[in-house]
Amino acid sequence: MALNEELLTVRDMSKRFYGTQALDEVSLNLAAGEVHTLVGENGAGKSTLIRILGGIHEMDSGEIAIDGRPSEFTNPREALNAGIVIIPQEMQLVLDATVAENVMLGNMPSKKWLGFIPVLDRRRMREQAGEALSKLNYHGSLDIPVSRLTFAERQLVVIAKALLHEAKIFILDEPTASLEQREAERLFEIVHALKAQQVGIIYISHRLDEIVELSDKCTTLRDGKVVDVSTRGHIEKENIIRLMTGRDLAELHQPHKLEFGETLIEHESELTLRRGEVLGLAGLLGSGTTKYLRHLFGAGEEAAAINLSGDEVQLKNPIAAIQHGIGMVPGERRNALIYDLSVRDNIVLPHLSDVSNGWRLNLKQIDKLVADLMEALDIRPRDPKKLVRVLSGGNQQKVIFARWLIGDFKVLLLDEPTHGIDVGAKARIHRLMKEFTARGGGVLFASSEMIEVVNMSDNIIAMRQGEIVARMSRESGEYNEGYLREALGG
Amino acid sequence: MTTREENQTVNITASTDSSEKRFTVVAVLEQMPLVALVVLCLVTAILSDRFLSPVNLTNIMLQASVMAIVAMGMTYVIISGGFDLSVGSIVALSGCVSAWVMLETNVPFGVISGITVGGAVGYLNGYIVSRLKVNPFIATLGMMVIVRGIVLLITDGRPIYGEDGLPEIFLELGSGRFLGIHYLIWVPVILFIIFSWLLHMTAYGRRLFATGGNREAAFLAGIQVKRVVTSAYVWCGILGGVAGVMLASRLQSGQPTAGEFYELTSIAAVVLGGAALHGGVGKLYKSMIGVFIMMVLANSLNLLNVHSYWQRVAVGLVIIAAAAADQIKSRRN
Repeated sequence: MALNEELLTVRDMSKRFYGTQALDEVSLNLAAGEVHTLVGENGAGKSTLIRILGGIHEMDSGEIAIDGRPSEFTNPREALNAGIVIIPQEMQLVLDATVAENVMLGNMPSKKWLGFIPVLDRRRMREQAGEALSKLNYHGSLDIPVSRLTFAERQLVVIAKALLHEAKIFILDEPTASLEQREAERLFEIVHALKAQQVGIIYISHRLDEIVELSDKCTTLRDGKVVDVSTRGHIEKENIIRLMTGRDLAELHQPHKLEFGETLIEHESELTLRRGEVLGLAGLLGSGTTKYLRHLFGAGEEAAAINLSGDEVQLKNPIAAIQHGIGMVPGERRNALIYDLSVRDNIVLPHLSDVSNGWRLNLKQIDKLVADLMEALDIRPRDPKKLVRVLSGGNQQKVIFARWLIGDFKVLLLDEPTHGIDVGAKARIHRLMKEFTARGGGVLFASSEMIEVVNMSDNIIAMRQGEIVARMSRESGEYNEGYLREALGG
Repeated sequence: MTTREENQTVNITASTDSSEKRFTVVAVLEQMPLVALVVLCLVTAILSDRFLSPVNLTNIMLQASVMAIVAMGMTYVIISGGFDLSVGSIVALSGCVSAWVMLETNVPFGVISGITVGGAVGYLNGYIVSRLKVNPFIATLGMMVIVRGIVLLITDGRPIYGEDGLPEIFLELGSGRFLGIHYLIWVPVILFIIFSWLLHMTAYGRRLFATGGNREAAFLAGIQVKRVVTSAYVWCGILGGVAGVMLASRLQSGQPTAGEFYELTSIAAVVLGGAALHGGVGKLYKSMIGVFIMMVLANSLNLLNVHSYWQRVAVGLVIIAAAAADQIKSRRN
């Protein structure tokens, strides 16, 4: 039967979470040696699907078959034993243990000392670990702690470990989200190496170029349903975006206007931000952009001395920055959101004094304000009382944005505002940035995605190791991605 | 073919059932403390005919009244992401200071100084935790020992009631009634209304939840997190002070050994009420249910003539069971 050639078959998988149909009769086939990509906006059901395959959630109905045998997992261990491994965005490794130890964890070879006392066989451990890693083109040291590896190398360690556990199905969940271009290319080589070993790969990414390059098959999800399955040669970016979002790419792009108003902030003659301007702060991970934005927001170690529309001010803390009309969206959502509070409370958090009569919160005013913002930003589900924890990444990011659309904010400091969110939500955030500047605000935004910086900015400052290494302007001189990459040495 | 379709239908019904069932399970777990309290009362009422007697119920209310006030303060501190081990010592200090001061001056001044001294210790706790960044466990453990030491020093280890006892009007507070209900019961009722309002209806309350839930995020949203954390300990100290004064009026003296284990009982009550020890989650009324569970449990074991040593074992088990139920709940979510 044809079914048996399939490594993994998912048939009619459905899952409901309190009133939300997260998955609606989703089917999927994965053959050995195949890369099957999964695309969809945040909340489309990708995470739910892989969490069920990984044994973290149980499905309500449907079937999973591995090698043609029906399987169902009630916990992650059972999924692991069935040969399914999820390589998540943030991996669990023992950071202080060596590379070899991490690869062999749970598989440690032992020998008998004095013929009867079992001890760890370190030599065999290094041999086996080295062999597994060299298949993946890792030729670094086996004896350094994992904490000293780059993010990409850590992924190799996890993959090697899984291969030793005879994993057959790899689920790579946004493996390139935190990688630089060169590292990402190395990861693609590994994907090819895994394919050659007849491993089946489910690959999730928001980067559509990768999808086109890697996919043997591509399944598009929207609102918990499969809306399209395409095979290699028939996968097109524009088509995927339309299927994912139900809109055309052209609608998602914003035009540029190069007319700026007076200066909003100036900082140590390094930085000037004017009304109507989007100023890009380009830098790779660890280049100091995050620290710089925090400093400007008064959240650094020392107070920030800035010139604000002509007045010299000291920003000692975020409270001062907020009072002066400066808002910030931090790089990591967990640094911005209170997960145990509702969407409503998270939105009004910096404005609690403004929405109170004396001590008492003016709930009517808050509800009206929040309802309007949720509508304007299309925050889903449209329920202000939902805990912000249950929202998808893109919607959480919109909640953080919504905060600074209350009141009269002149400057937005954004740190990686579109990190790890899908094209639809990304376009929405980009549009918000443009709308903010169109109303006379100024946006300073940091990103490690060069294309994004170049497309969105009017002017760019490039940072490396905490120093400004280059400036680019759309109005004059060279303004392109290549120049920027050169400046950053990436 | 028909069979497959039938199978599917069955599957779908089964799925709706199980998701609905899970929903109810969570809803029940959410109200677990209340359910537990009701069950506890029913069982005790069946096993002992004395349980529902007016005398016994009043007794429970009186015992709960002091602990309820301590637990209100503890709820604030736990929501802020810390906890306060020194509150039992604060109860003793406030009781003794108020007794001492009222013997020297007058009753109102005595009551006010007792409460103020509680607030002052609370402020010190808050300062040490939020400014000096000492772990709340260590900071308040130290403060618990220091304050108890000070109480013993100023009282020389003996109860304070002067030569002719504490002023008559103060003792009236401990035994008198208004509308047939003890003053000692009115106090927590009024405080509960005020502190529920403060916690759930005001900007300050949201800041407290935000700070306890995610300090960094609260800081970046422009909340003065240090001040908010300190305020929680101040409330806890003030409420500990009120509890201490009330206890002194009931015991007709300032007792240097009063309030022992109040910190543990109140923390247990707050956790029973579903507040999270990592902060940011909690409801004042649920903490009160927690207090009643502790009090009714103790009362019920007494009525059933369970040996007092076994009572301790039972109370410990209930606390662990509550924490385990809470874990199951958060996993379901």
